[in-house]
This record gives sequence, structure tokens and C-alpha cells, in this order.
Amino acid sequence: MDLRAGDSWGMLACLCTVLWHLPAVPALNRTGDPGPGPSIQKTYDLTRYLEHQLRSLAGTYLNYLGPPFNEPDFNPPRLGAETLPRATVNLDVWRSLNDRLRLTQNYEAYSHLLCYLRGLNRQAATAELRRSLAHFCTSLQGLLGSIAGVMAALGYPLPQPLPGTEPTWTPGPAHSDFLQKMDDFWLLKELQTWLWRSAKDFNRLKKKMQPPAAAVTLHLEAHGF
Amino acid sequence: MAVPVPWACCAVLAAAAAVVYAQRHSPQETPHVQYERLGSDVTLPCGTANWDAAVTWRVNGTDLAPDLLNGSQLVLRGLELGHSGLYACFHRDSWHLRHQVLLNVGLPPREPVLSCRSNTYPKGFYCSWHLPSPTYIPNTFNVTVLHGSKIMVCEKDPALKNRCHIRYMHLFSTVKYKVSISVSNALGHNTTAITFDEFTIVKPDPPENVVARPVPSNPRRLEVTWQTPSTWPDPESFPLKFFLRYRPLILDQWQHVELSDGTAHTITDAYAGKEYIIQVAAKDNEIGTWSDWSVAAHATPWTEEPRHLTTEAQAPETTASTTSSLAPPPTTKICDPGELGSGGGPSAPFFISVLVTLALAAAAAAAGSLLI
Repeated sequence: MDLRAGDSWGMLACLCTVLWHLPAVPALNRTGDPGPGPSIQKTYDLTRYLEHQLRSLAGTYLNYLGPPFNEPDFNPPRLGAETLPRATVNLDVWRSLNDRLRLTQNYEAYSHLLCYLRGLNRQAATAELRRSLAHFCTSLQGLLGSIAGVMAALGYPLPQPLPGTEPTWTPGPAHSDFLQKMDDFWLLKELQTWLWRSAKDFNRLKKKMQPPAAAVTLHLEAHGF
Repeated sequence: MAVPVPWACCAVLAAAAAVVYAQRHSPQETPHVQYERLGSDVTLPCGTANWDAAVTWRVNGTDLAPDLLNGSQLVLRGLELGHSGLYACFHRDSWHLRHQVLLNVGLPPREPVLSCRSNTYPKGFYCSWHLPSPTYIPNTFNVTVLHGSKIMVCEKDPALKNRCHIRYMHLFSTVKYKVSISVSNALGHNTTAITFDEFTIVKPDPPENVVARPVPSNPRRLEVTWQTPSTWPDPESFPLKFFLRYRPLILDQWQHVELSDGTAHTITDAYAGKEYIIQVAAKDNEIGTWSDWSVAAHATPWTEEPRHLTTEAQAPETTASTTSSLAPPPTTKICDPGELGSGGGPSAPFFISVLVTLALAAAAAAAGSLLI
């Protein structure tokens, strides 16, 4: 089966549903852990590590796609890639997200992004690219597990896929080579933006989890005039 | 008494002055404003006068030489900035004002320099611009901000003429911002544009109120405190990390410390007694670039009453121990033959011993040469 032509997004969405049903990673083993604080810190650290890793991975991959995708001024309109989870959010809405929703949005986004990345990996032409992508996918899987751990520690249920969003296996219109590359470009861009957003999300959660006295002191220090 | 004669004379003079004044500032001739390019040539006609009319030209009230005239037209070649002014042409005999031109010599605008920065993330960002070289004539600027296909409003800064502010509606956007500016004046027009991601333009203002204090009883410590910049709206959700640099004034090499949180740090390796200069910079933890360095703070570590130039902390000293520390240690003591005999005052026997040594050395050399 030729994976390059055909409805790649559809197939990947199907694969995604398979992933949903996999049990969440063993981070749920709670052997007397001291609350969600340390695992939030760990999750934050993972987003920073991934963001750093992604910078070199994206550079290599965009060069592989070739111009105009690897040009710094490349600024295409956001067409297609409808199913990609978007990090962009209204400022006030983002601020007022409750912890559960904040974590859920992160978890769902990375689950989808991981699935799409795995599809990218399958289609990558060089062994070196496949190796880098595979390594990144493993790290991203680790991040997912970490987020799941935080949610479990806070008593939030892991999001399950809604019935009806499971795609049927229908081959869609042939995706041109250029459009496929555009999708890859947006995937990497969205991934990078999500990692920046997650760092801010976990910062916010970290501050909330701190003991109230310390939080107040920090607040006074920051506005100490 | 011939009083009426001078009186009449004054009246005539006053009337003449009034007529001249009325002619010079006649309301029917408002100056025509004209812009011309630096270095170019311009010919100013005297309004609707014939080419062969007899006219005189003045600039800012000063007569112009007739050799600049081409008939009734004024010809100016190789315009310089000094040519700017109010030019007026008068009918030569009646001094009737025919025409006025306010000439402004300048240049068309070169490509403007535009930059944008967010020092108030996530509230918004500002863009500022300037021309790389002056035009010497008035310019108007027009800024447009596009986020994808959406037009955003750039509000003029209340104080600064060449700055405007944009508020973020959405955060964590993958779509770039495009800011374009067009500048135009009477002689020309130019534009430029820049595109950027939301994250790349984040650069906080420098930390404020940097204070360095000595730590009592600690000659190698300095305590530094500062505040997050007041323009950074939300240090809780968007924490800043800091970079501290310090050096003694007498050295050029900086020491650096990066701090991931907190607004205080204690330097523990300061050279005792040396005045230090300390600066701090700030950056969002994850995105953007470092701020400029803060205003410098100066401090000298704590020292006890007599100041010592050594780098080790010393125990409080009594007079006896001071004397002993100034005397040379026994192992490096110079052999002093004078002391063997008298054990008294050092200076005279020492001098004698030098002479004795030299004499002995000379004798040895003489003996050596005799042997050879």
C-alpha cells in the first residue's frame, strides 16, 4: 500500500483512536507520592526538553522538505490541516481555564500530535530522519505519561475519545505532494507552539500548587514597590 | 521756534512707513508653499507677471542680487538647506508685492527602519520607527498591522510620535504578524514591512531598583536585590529568569550568574575592600530574548577598621601582632654580619658590612687574577 498518496490524515486519525484505547502509561503507579507538585515540575521540565529537541528536529525536517518551507520568512495562510489541535486561545479564556480543563487540553493535543508525528515518521525518506523522529516520539510519549500522572494525582479522569469522532476508513481525495508538505509544516509549527504554551500552562499550575504563604511572598516580591 | 517743521517731517515718514508696510504685507498675497529637492535647480516665477516685468526679489527681507534673475523669474541652482525661506518679488518701481513663495528644501524619505517588541507579554507589543536620515521637511507615517488576514489596530503612543501599541487578542498563535509602515512627504514616498512570530519579539524591560549592600562581618559578600520590571504585567504566570553580572571596578572581566527565580542573590567571592559594579538582566523563562542590562549598582564589601589589601579575611589585630607581621620571616632573613657582633641598631653595622663584603670581593678578584 502506498502511504504517500491517499488520505493520510484519515488514516492517522484512525491510528489515533487505537492509541486512545491503550492504557495510560505506568506513571499512574502511585507509591505514596508527595502530591502533584514534583510531577508538575517534571512535566514542565519535559516540555522544555522537548522544545529544545524539536528545534533541531524541525530544522532538519524543514530542510528535507526544501524551499519554501525552510525559509525563515515563510508565512503561508493556514489552509488545510483542520484536524490539528490548535494552541492558540483567547487571552482571557486561557487565563480563566480551570486546572482540569487546562490539563485535558494539553493531554488531548499531545495525543493527536503524537499520532500525526508517527505518521510523519513512516513517510520520512531518510533513515536519519526516521531515527530523530522516533526518538522525539518516544520523548513525547513520556510527556503524555507525565501529564496523565499529574491528572491522576489530582483526581481528574483521563479524556476519552467522544463517540462519533472515530473516522471511518474511507480513502479521501489524493493529497498532492505540496499539500502534504504544507501539512507537515503546520504540524511542526503547531507542535512547537504547543510546547511553549504547555510551559506556561505548567508554570501556572506549579504556582497554584505551591503552599499559600510562599505564593503570597512571591507575589509581594514581584510587586514590591 | 521751528517746531511744526520736524512734526510734519515725522508725519510724512510715518505715512510712508505705513504704505510700505501695507504693500509688503498685503492680504491678497498669501505665500505659496513649495517643496524642492536638495541639490536640484528651481525657477520661481513672479506670480503672473510677464517675463520682462521689472521686479526685485527678496528672501526673508534681504535683497537678492539681480544676476540670479532670468527676466522676472528667480533662478536658484544647486539648492542647499540654507535656501529655505520666504521669497517675495516686488514691482521694482512701486514696491508693490507681486508674489510670495515659502520655499522648503528637503529630501524624499529613505526606507524607514521599523522594529517591534513586546515588553508587556502577554498584554501586547509596540512598534517604533525612524528614518535613517533626515528629510528636513514634514513627513507623515502610516502603520498597518496584519495578523494572518486580520487587520489589527495600532494605537498611537500618547507621548512618543514614532511609536504605536497593539494589544494581543489571542495567545500562542502559529500565524505570523506583519507590520508595514509607509512614510511620505511632498517629495516622495517609501515603505517597509517586517514579519515575526509572537514569541520572537518578547524582550522585557531591565530589572528595576537594583541595590547592592555589604553584608556585616563578611568581607567577601555582597547582597544584591532587585525588582521585576514594572511593565511586565504578570510575573506569576509568566515568570522571569535573571542574569547577574558583577566585577570589581579595577578589573575588566565580568563574573556571571544565571538565576531561575527569586529577586535576590548573595555574591560570595568578592575581593575584600574592592568597589564592585553589578548589573542584572531579565528574560521570560521560555521565550524571547534577554533585556538590556539594568542601571548599575555599586557597593564595596564590609571591611573592618584598618583596610587591608589582602584577599583573606583576617582576625582582629593588636599592636604587637601588627609589628610582628611587618618583620621579615626568619627563613628569608638577610645574613647581617653587623648583627653578630653588636646585636644593636641595624643601620650602621649593615652599611659597614656591605663595605666589608665589597672589599672582600675585590680582594678575591685580585687574588684570582694573580693566580692566572
